[in-house]
Amino acid sequence: MTFRTKLLLTVLLTILASVSVVAYGVTYYTKAAFEEMDGERTEALVSQFKKEYAQRGEEVVQQVKNIADSSVTLRMAIDLARPNADASIYFNDAKGTAQDHNLDFMQFVGSDGTLVSSLQYPARVGYKVDWLAQKKDWDNSPPFLKKEELPEGVELSLTVVRTLSGGNDKTLYVVGGRRLDQNFLSSLVLPSGMRALLYRNLEPGFIPSALTDASGNLPQADRFQPLIEQIQKQPHAMVRRIDWTMDAADAETFHEIPLMGPNNELLAVLLVGSSQRELVLLTRKIVRISAAVAGAALLIGLLMSLWISARITKPVEELAEGAREVATGRWDTRIDVRGTDEIGQLATAFNDMTRTLAAQKERLLQTERVAAWRELARRLAHELRNPLFPLQITVENLQRARQLEAKQFLEVFHESTATLKAELANLNTIVGRFSDFSKMPAPQFSRVNVNEALRNAVKLFEPQFTAVGKPTITTEFFLTEPLPEIDADPDLLHRAFQNLVLNALDAMPAGGTLTLRSAESKGGVRIEVSDTGKGLTPEECSRLFTPYYTTKQQGTGLGLAIVQSVVSDHHGNISVTSDEDRGTTFRIELPQRQAQRSSPPASDTPSPNTRPPLSTLAAASD
Amino acid sequence: MRSIASRWRAGIKRAPFFGFAAALCACAALATKLPRYGGVLRIELREAALSPDPREWKPGTPEFASNEKLAALIFDRLVSLDEYGRFLPQLAVEWSHDPAFQRWVFKLRGGVTFSDGSALSGAEAEAALRPLLPAGMRASSSGMTLTLQSAAAAPDMLEQLASGRYFIFHDAGDGRLAGTGAFILTEASHSRTDGKPSFYTLQANNSCWAGRPFLDRVEITAGLPALKRLLDLELGQADVIELAPELVRRARQEDLRVWTSDPVTLFGLRLPDGDGAEQARLREAISLSLDRVTMAGVLLQRQAQPAAALLPEWLSGYASLFSIEPDSESERELRGTPKLSSAAAGEPMLLRVDAPGELAKLLGDRVALNARQKGINLQIAGKNQQTHLAPAAPAEVRLFVWRFTLLSAPAELAELQASLRVGDSAEPGGAKGELQQLYAKERKLLEDRRVAPLVLLPEYIGLSANIRDWMPARWGAWRLADAWLDTPAVSSAPPSETPSRTQRE
Repeated sequence: MTFRTKLLLTVLLTILASVSVVAYGVTYYTKAAFEEMDGERTEALVSQFKKEYAQRGEEVVQQVKNIADSSVTLRMAIDLARPNADASIYFNDAKGTAQDHNLDFMQFVGSDGTLVSSLQYPARVGYKVDWLAQKKDWDNSPPFLKKEELPEGVELSLTVVRTLSGGNDKTLYVVGGRRLDQNFLSSLVLPSGMRALLYRNLEPGFIPSALTDASGNLPQADRFQPLIEQIQKQPHAMVRRIDWTMDAADAETFHEIPLMGPNNELLAVLLVGSSQRELVLLTRKIVRISAAVAGAALLIGLLMSLWISARITKPVEELAEGAREVATGRWDTRIDVRGTDEIGQLATAFNDMTRTLAAQKERLLQTERVAAWRELARRLAHELRNPLFPLQITVENLQRARQLEAKQFLEVFHESTATLKAELANLNTIVGRFSDFSKMPAPQFSRVNVNEALRNAVKLFEPQFTAVGKPTITTEFFLTEPLPEIDADPDLLHRAFQNLVLNALDAMPAGGTLTLRSAESKGGVRIEVSDTGKGLTPEECSRLFTPYYTTKQQGTGLGLAIVQSVVSDHHGNISVTSDEDRGTTFRIELPQRQAQRSSPPASDTPSPNTRPPLSTLAAASD
Repeated sequence: MRSIASRWRAGIKRAPFFGFAAALCACAALATKLPRYGGVLRIELREAALSPDPREWKPGTPEFASNEKLAALIFDRLVSLDEYGRFLPQLAVEWSHDPAFQRWVFKLRGGVTFSDGSALSGAEAEAALRPLLPAGMRASSSGMTLTLQSAAAAPDMLEQLASGRYFIFHDAGDGRLAGTGAFILTEASHSRTDGKPSFYTLQANNSCWAGRPFLDRVEITAGLPALKRLLDLELGQADVIELAPELVRRARQEDLRVWTSDPVTLFGLRLPDGDGAEQARLREAISLSLDRVTMAGVLLQRQAQPAAALLPEWLSGYASLFSIEPDSESERELRGTPKLSSAAAGEPMLLRVDAPGELAKLLGDRVALNARQKGINLQIAGKNQQTHLAPAAPAEVRLFVWRFTLLSAPAELAELQASLRVGDSAEPGGAKGELQQLYAKERKLLEDRRVAPLVLLPEYIGLSANIRDWMPARWGAWRLADAWLDTPAVSSAPPSETPSRTQRE
């Protein structure tokens, strides 16, 4: 992932997180505020209902009191107090009285508890009304909720009882009430989105038909069953929510208010429902606005992030590009310096660094070049001095032999010319070797069995391994069979192996073990040639493949350079590991297949000044 | 059998003093006021729609009586029964029967014409009565003679013909019936919707064979609520109203004239027919639970009387032999029976109140309360007008109302039985008289407890102060041809060219 992408993502995530936090905060606190407002509204309605309830009770109290205080009722009480009074003449009085005083329930009960007149259940006239005798002071009793038995069933009544005396210690009970039903609910003034339901708890368990609203038609009444059953078990105010559909906007929150009877029995439950639609829609609107704002902020943030990250990362990218170019060897890479900030300073430092590196490289190259020429000169001087000295002696002998007799001179002459020839041949050989190195042939690839090539290379030196008077050298082969054939030039490969074996022989003047290993590696083969000589120092290892470098008195320093050249031409690499006093191991890795079987164009004159391939460099560094 | 007429005559013989006193009072009244012609009598009735066609009436229904009131203004019967139990000739001037009371021959009044101008004849009378006669009786005619042949003995033939729907009319075929009565129906506006009143206008029949009635016109408004009728009477907007029982006390407190008939309406229970012992005990338990005295004395404010028998005393003559007191020993035995308790605790029985009106509902509520007090779960079901007097469904009790309209007790009981679909449970006749047989039949019916009478209710009529000679029959039949209005607007002389009623009589 690029720095720009990282920067972009970081900025975007930061913006997203910020916007999300802000949007969530706004939504959360707004919703909480709305819920609080809704709760206050519901509380107000509940409070209103309680006031209405109390007011209705007061109205009933006043009406019943008016009835009890009326002269008609007093006449009735006096008449009924007489012995053998005919109560039947008052049979219809409850009906007329209730109509006059706008009451739904009306009863007159005699002193002995016998029902004299009843609006709601005329057929009960003559029966006893037992509950009236359970209390003495009815005149100061507040209105109470009561089950009112009717011919068609049971109703709820907000009931008031008052008494009046007709003389002879006879009391007439005046019992009036108003029905607590859907009409009562419809009289409540409800704000929009709210409704009031009444459950008349007249039978055990949940009865859907006992639940009504102001319209009298309540669909899905059975959904209230858990609410009602819970309040039937624990009759105290509670709040429950009903999700009518999967849509949260259709949910309703119900405040349940138990309405208790005089004996603290649950007679009814008022449910004040508050629709969540307005709240949910408002919340959704806020969420949508928040999402839109967040989206816009993110879009703007994205554009800003792109611009900012591009602006910030462009110098860094230029730096990275410059570094890559430097890595590829372009030491003269320069980048534009913009500004004086840290990036600008970094760019300046980069330019300074590349300038310094280029200068140092140039100096290093010049030093290496000088060192190489010096080494070449030294080797040439060394190589050429050995044959020149005999040549000089021989020539001097010839000069001195001119004074000898002809015969002796002839003998000397013959000996001297022979020596001169030999030394000249030696010189020719030395020059030829240098010439050969400079003219390494281009490889001609063909299928080569590496194991076979190894065995052939070793076979050339077998007589030397067991030569009389020389220390014995043991050879050990650890060759993987079968080993895949590789694309290689068999002559160059043979020459490389030959140099390695010869190098190992030279490293073991006191004898030892030459070990050869071959194995299949990833996409090629790996060859190891190990000796048990005295080993090399790390400095020697680092310079081992430098042309004309040798640790031997008689070496030209070209053998391992040739090996490296062959391996390089085969697109392989060579490395060396050495432990002092334990021996040295050369490891060659060659690819199984060459990209093209034809040889790459060979450089006419491999110059030590030219930079070796990366693989060789890597091997040299080892 | 002693007919109702003979019983009434006997009663009068037993009380000559009262008859004499009544005659003196009548003479005194006549001496003070003479009838006047003219005026419009305004009548307000409870039933919404009236039909003067006797062929459409259903026996025992409250509307039967209202229809009969309307028809009595338009048509005449062959005979009539007066307050003293005497059969008076109407369209028949003579009658005779064979010793077996199966063949009755009536000689019709001559010179009588229907309101459409056609003359009364035996054939016309036969045509009118043929669709009205019960099964087993057929009519034939010859000239001005009408013969009725009954398959069984019909000693109460005259009582039957003097009541019920046995009116003589002429059906011209256009849907309008012409009669020979004191009035002619000139306008009928039937209510097409529930709750709306119907209006009927009747003009005096100047060519009535009995003479022109005193009233010029009778206007009937049918289908008004009880309180509205009473208010109209109080405000002088009505002269004759049907008074609801619950308003009788109020009317009397307000010094309104209230006329009361003999008990003519029976409220009763039709109990389920199950034959098992459990069902029988349940029927008995329900019957014994009924508190008829309170129903009549409290719920109906003493405007009704508890009914121990199906037929009222004035009709049967033996109703007082039945007791309304519950058999306490039998009741205690029933309440202690585990089987009854288990039955009562089971599925609730339905009490269907098919009778119209608040009164029936009130009685139904009380019946249910009485039953519940005895541990019987009786629940009131919805009203079903269409199944009036249909048999009770299994495990269903029905409260019915029956309006007596016949003056023949056996015929009335038979009609009631047929309507309630209660089988004839009369004991074998043997040598007993017909009255004893009737008594035994009704007693057996009551002992079976498939029918339980509750209360008997008279008919209450509210009258304005200026109506005179209001002399209806004690069983509720009106005689408006003799009534007149004592108001300044009416005249003491009949319209010219019109025979006066008193002259014709």
